[in-house]
Amino acid sequence: MGQTAWGWLIAIYLFLGGLGAGSFLMAAFFELSGWRYRSKFCPVALVGATVSGPLVALGSLLLIFDLGAGRMQPWRILYMFTHFSSVMTWGIYILSIFIPLALVYGFLELMESEPWLKGFVAARLPWLLRNGRTYRRWVAAVGSVFAVATAVYTGVLISDVGPAIPLWSQPVLPFVRIPMLPILFFISAISTGMGLTFDISATIADPEIQRRFRIMDLSHILLIGLENIAIGLLFISALSSGGSAAESARIVLYGPLAVVFWVGVVLVGLAFPFVVHAYAIGRGQHSLASGVGSGVGIVIAGLLLRYMIVYAGIPAAL
Amino acid sequence: MSETKVSRRTFLRYLLGTGALAAAGGVGVGLTQGAQAALARTDKPKARYALIIDTTKCVGCGACVRACNIRNHLPEGKSYVHIVQKGDAKHPWFMPVQCQHCADAPCARVCPTRATYHHESGVVLINEKLCVGCKYCEVACPYQARTFDEERGVVDKCWLCLDWVSEGKEPACVQSCVLGARIFGRLDDPTSEVAQLVASGKAKPLHPEFGTHPAVLHYIIEG
Ligand code: SF4
Ligand code: SF4
Repeated sequence: MGQTAWGWLIAIYLFLGGLGAGSFLMAAFFELSGWRYRSKFCPVALVGATVSGPLVALGSLLLIFDLGAGRMQPWRILYMFTHFSSVMTWGIYILSIFIPLALVYGFLELMESEPWLKGFVAARLPWLLRNGRTYRRWVAAVGSVFAVATAVYTGVLISDVGPAIPLWSQPVLPFVRIPMLPILFFISAISTGMGLTFDISATIADPEIQRRFRIMDLSHILLIGLENIAIGLLFISALSSGGSAAESARIVLYGPLAVVFWVGVVLVGLAFPFVVHAYAIGRGQHSLASGVGSGVGIVIAGLLLRYMIVYAGIPAAL
Repeated sequence: MSETKVSRRTFLRYLLGTGALAAAGGVGVGLTQGAQAALARTDKPKARYALIIDTTKCVGCGACVRACNIRNHLPEGKSYVHIVQKGDAKHPWFMPVQCQHCADAPCARVCPTRATYHHESGVVLINEKLCVGCKYCEVACPYQARTFDEERGVVDKCWLCLDWVSEGKEPACVQSCVLGARIFGRLDDPTSEVAQLVASGKAKPLHPEFGTHPAVLHYIIEG
């Protein structure tokens, strides 16, 4: 099909980078807007903060696992910090700042809700617990910058191959030379983060939460709309630019990747959540199943989107 | 009444947040592009050699591929040179492709470790001691010139047989081509055959629209 150098490990890495970043952004948004403090227990902030670090770290491990010599001789990974014209070098810096920040953020959340940890912190680091909110605010604010960077970077990484893989480097519009993939991956990062922390985790922890944050339904509709536009533009531009880009579009739209795209991405990740959330706006609330279901759909579709893009990357014809 | 007010304010604040996020993303992408353009503009050495492939003479026999594979001990199914068939079934013609040794080499730009670099002769080389095997270069090469060596975990490709070449000999592929479809020589000597073919415009870079400015390889293509 497409290029063969990068496969599903890279696809999962791109997905986890987005999911972790999106989850962090959700938690940080709840923290900075004060929504986290509307109730005693905020599952969105807790889950978002605690899973983001491990998710992105897991993704990075997969990336390392995909390396050749760098896996056999791990010290070589240090060389990856040295070349600033490479987006991968940027990514290594972004990840090595974001992961620790996210882990700290997770700790700051856990210490509030985990009684054992809370006791431990109260005994050893009372100042930390006393000013917990202040520290969380700071970590959330600074971390958000790196979370955005992480999510955007996953798209820039593969769009930066330029003419080699025309699908990946399709511009937003013919006259706007910014590539579409970073934007698409960023939108998907927020969606999947929201799906994981709100639709899935918060709904399970507290089904009532849907009623309190009805704005989430609206946000999902908005993001689904944006993602639709981004995917639509990507394939229109790929088809109209001909050559390998059009070939990529064809294998996605009615070739070997059509099932992944139409069923996995469009039906499960866009249409179904759209119906669920549009219906919920009318009705004021979800059922537990529809909330969790749409979240699971969005997250799975996020993974399949990365998979599809990676495998649809057909090299330029010679 | 008061409830709708609150929710409206929340909504506005929320919209603002979304806008800020979008702006941040946009600025991020913009910065990347700008910084990269700036970083990519470093001086590249001028190519000392030229390898011209005359597709009007090539019959696609694959002698160059075999010679290269033997020279570089490449396993079955791997090679630095691949022969692209062009034209239609009735009138096929052949175009051997290998590393073009681009002046603006995307492989070197995207390499996170600096393993891929320009030799002073303009030839693009890989320092295997630095390579981590991330395969970014392999993906970013528009000429599909790079292969991954599973055994050593590094990427490799045509290196113009630089050891032989610097002794004044020709690369293995050139020596093996009995039909004269491969012309090799010094580009920095204006009297050489290759320099004249390039200067006259008879031999041209392949796919200049890729924007990578192939420096060593040039092609003679009729029609
Ligand atoms: S042909 Fe490919 S590998 Fe060779 S210099 Fe150009 S981009 Fe790099
Ligand atoms: S595979 Fe090696 S040469 Fe290629 S980009 Fe990665 S580190 Fe550089």
